[in-house]
Amino acid sequence: MWPVEFNMEAYVKLLKDGQLIIAMKNTVVITVIGTALNMFFTIIAAYPLSKARLKGRNFMLMAILFTMLFSGGLIPNFLLINSIGLTNTYWSLWLPALISAYNMFVMKTFLEGLPDELEESAAIDGAGDFTVLWRIILPLSKPVIAALTLFYAVGWWNSYMNVLIYIRSTDKVSLMVKLYQMIDLVSPELLRGSGEGVSQISITPEGIRAAAVVFAIVPILCVYPFLQKHFIKGVLLGSIKG
Amino acid sequence: MKQHSQSAARAPMPDMPKTGTGSSWVTSMRKELTRNRFLYMLLVPVAIYLLLFKYAPMAGEIIAFKNYRLSDGIWGSSWVGFQQFEKLFASREFYIVLKNTLLLNLYHLLFAFPAPILLAIMLNEVRVEWYKRTLQNLLYIPHFISWIVLGSIIIALLSPSTGIVNYLLKAIGIDPIYFMADKLWWPVTFIVSGIWKEAGFGTILYLAAMASIDPTLYEAAKIDGANKIKQIWHVTLPGIRSTIAILLILQVGKMMDVGFEQVYALRNPAVTSVAEVISTFVYTRGIVNLQYSYTTALGLFQSLIALILIVSVNRIIKALGERGLW
Repeated sequence: MWPVEFNMEAYVKLLKDGQLIIAMKNTVVITVIGTALNMFFTIIAAYPLSKARLKGRNFMLMAILFTMLFSGGLIPNFLLINSIGLTNTYWSLWLPALISAYNMFVMKTFLEGLPDELEESAAIDGAGDFTVLWRIILPLSKPVIAALTLFYAVGWWNSYMNVLIYIRSTDKVSLMVKLYQMIDLVSPELLRGSGEGVSQISITPEGIRAAAVVFAIVPILCVYPFLQKHFIKGVLLGSIKG
Repeated sequence: MKQHSQSAARAPMPDMPKTGTGSSWVTSMRKELTRNRFLYMLLVPVAIYLLLFKYAPMAGEIIAFKNYRLSDGIWGSSWVGFQQFEKLFASREFYIVLKNTLLLNLYHLLFAFPAPILLAIMLNEVRVEWYKRTLQNLLYIPHFISWIVLGSIIIALLSPSTGIVNYLLKAIGIDPIYFMADKLWWPVTFIVSGIWKEAGFGTILYLAAMASIDPTLYEAAKIDGANKIKQIWHVTLPGIRSTIAILLILQVGKMMDVGFEQVYALRNPAVTSVAEVISTFVYTRGIVNLQYSYTTALGLFQSLIALILIVSVNRIIKALGERGLW
């Protein structure tokens, strides 16, 4: 019941096994590229849609809002990804989730709060459209960019349903799915409740599992303290205009 | 496209009549496209994304009215009308899955929905600033951890043989409880673990709403002799009413949907009869067992009910004088 002795064997075994390291690397790739794509597309959607003068803006906004209320569902999405040949590539994870409608609205609300004069004066100074966005708007949007980056990144790090559905090769699987497979292997014994399955050697299945859990949590706990003030801001930004 | 609209705006085509509503509409459209071409350019990939990955799958729901086979494709498969739905509504499993989905959501509404409200009220009464900050930060952490990880921790904590919970129960003379494998206890575990993960994070919006309550209201209430409970009832709760309303709409909109990841992480074969919900059923029958049309029919049924629910709740909330979602 209680921890008997302190040892690092479970961690050493996991590291030597290599599979978990590969899964961790995959998760990093999925998270970093996924988040970058998310931010790019969220910005190019939110920036034009934050301009009240833009014709067709309301139509676009309604089209995006509607995707929050009604969606094609799992199977049609799956068949689409299948038919365009993305199955078992990370694009099958990234492309369907390029923009979170909710995050797009958060970003748009924030951008609407920036004074128009900034852009006008920059344009008078001869700055092009792209320069205005890159040099003026984005630096001012740091708080919302930080918050949304965090939300997207945590989402990618933790999500596993998409990997479960679209990724077939074991060497492409993410950390969470790998972890699930490991839990699945030891849980029948835990559910039955008999202690017989637990071996007497110093590495128990629980030990391995606990070590794997630590692998999954530590990166989040490491970045959490630096980012926590941003996500609170992000949540509140979202609430201003739903 | 860009080049074209630019030159067209500079030199209108000669054969175009200068007057008439049709052409002036075209001209103003062109002007608009030229003036804001950068903005429109940015929206092009966004529109393609929406069409391809959001609206095309909606159109793909027509396979619910077909007998979809991979070899025939969406267009080649034969139409069967409402046959898939009839099969669905005639099956026993549909009612079990629907009942489980609705029950888990009902429990969620009753127990998990009020949890962040209560927690926020308690946090709001904490007067020591650093203590409150620390508590908040600790309470937010579970939100950022995957269900897989939390599921694994929960299974370990609740294990009848090695878990600390049953160890403590044994210490006070209670037989081990099979929290994860018992049909009565599994929903409890499900709801409590959901509260544990999300209640803390859910306080953010309520705390913000509470922070914007005018402090003089509390002073006035105190002068009138209201104790803490009465202050909470008459000042704090009315102050967060619209926040509660909005979150309630969102929650009711999700009545037909129990998140896949939590169920998948916590379920096991012993509790399928209470743990199989629409999302896990569609996954198992659709993706794993390849019954595409049948599960799409279920998915479509679920999406339509959810749409009706959220639209009607939004109406009701607006009729009650609160700000709706749109």
